[in-house]
Amino acid sequence: MTNNRKISLPEDELVNALKSQNTIAMHALYDMYSAALFGIISRIIPQIEVAEDLLQETFIKIWNSADGYDPAKGRLFTWMMNIARNIAIDKLRSKDYRNTEKNQDIENNVDFIDAQKEVTFNADTLGIKEMVNGLKPELIAVLDMVYFKGYTHVEAAEELNLPLGTIKTRVRMAIIELRKRFN
Amino acid sequence: MDEGRAYIETGILEQYVTGQLTARERYEVEAMAAKDPEVKQEITSIELTLEKYAMVAARNPREILKDEILHKILTKPLEAKSDKIMQKIEPAIIPLHDNVYEAKIRKLYIALAACVALLAITIIALLSTRGELGEAKNEIIALNLDKQKFATEASYLKENNTDLQEKNKIVSDPDWKTVKLAGTKMDPQANMIVYWHPAGRHVMVDNSKMQLPANDQDHQYQLWALVNGKPVDLGVFDVKADSTQILLKMKEIAGAQAFAVTLEKRGGNVGPTMDQMIVMGAVGI
Repeated sequence: MTNNRKISLPEDELVNALKSQNTIAMHALYDMYSAALFGIISRIIPQIEVAEDLLQETFIKIWNSADGYDPAKGRLFTWMMNIARNIAIDKLRSKDYRNTEKNQDIENNVDFIDAQKEVTFNADTLGIKEMVNGLKPELIAVLDMVYFKGYTHVEAAEELNLPLGTIKTRVRMAIIELRKRFN
Repeated sequence: MDEGRAYIETGILEQYVTGQLTARERYEVEAMAAKDPEVKQEITSIELTLEKYAMVAARNPREILKDEILHKILTKPLEAKSDKIMQKIEPAIIPLHDNVYEAKIRKLYIALAACVALLAITIIALLSTRGELGEAKNEIIALNLDKQKFATEASYLKENNTDLQEKNKIVSDPDWKTVKLAGTKMDPQANMIVYWHPAGRHVMVDNSKMQLPANDQDHQYQLWALVNGKPVDLGVFDVKADSTQILLKMKEIAGAQAFAVTLEKRGGNVGPTMDQMIVMGAVGI
């Protein structure tokens, strides 16, 4: 199974392979999207060991629930992203995770911080900074809360002490700005 | 076109893609997208934008993880199949605090169900009580009718009894004279009895021993005493088939040789109409 060659497939072929439970689909999915999904998960659950377990859980769920994906309703990545985000949020509010978090506060934090450094960041911090450079930070901040950290609009409104309508508008504006940038 | 544009402007599509909508709202968006290609196009465009953004923000997990994860998934097909049945996932919003709300909503549902059940029981009880109440009312009406009937009967019997006692006293008392009046040629079958107490001047007519034809509305029988050859009015009476009274008290008279009854106009006459005399009887010694 050790295969260093990265596999990439067009979306429709990927979906067909996944739905027919072709193992090539999992290789391709992992190569194409594991980093993006891990980016989401590790922003919600910063502990690397836990985040890695959740990444595994996410791929298991993607494999097992392939029947439940309907291409007519949206892109494959959006579907996988929602699975990853939901798994991470479930973990965040679970009892055992809350207890671990408390323990880590008590323990020496140095080990934990060291462990975090093991992650090879995908030049991501740099990439994001470049990407959002020139965009209004208040727009990007709201989008990140909702898209990466899994806040609901209501929770984001409470956290930022802003009206719900403002949150919705900022998310939309942020996406419009990003769209211009990508084009 | 304008409708689709306005729909896009609401920002609901961004919420759809970022997983902010409830199942119902998602169906709405999906129906809209199926109907309007512009909406569908916009959703895909938002998805691609966020997909690229996620790619930029990606973090590589440790290299070793790939083999671990793929090995785990691809070597356990049986478990995978059973899992599949258990976990049909639907991407949905998962608010951090929804447990509390769910519990509250569940409690409210239970309370609501209890209220509905209580209401149903109350209504059933009320209906059955109403039915019983109606029956009870009917019974009361029936009992009331019975009571009235019995009261009437009782008062009738009481009256009868009083009359009978009095009559008994009269018959056994030597001071009372029993005068039998026999039918004249006007009606030979007719006869009746008059009780007379000369000392007390009382005169009674015995209804139970009366054998006179019933009088009509325009006429009444009039009782006369013959005192030294002259008729003295002792009052009028009716003869009815359903008469309840046994003894009729007539006007007083101290002395008389005979009694007679004539049929007169209603209310009586000053003097007897001789050819209408129906019965007559002399006082025995």
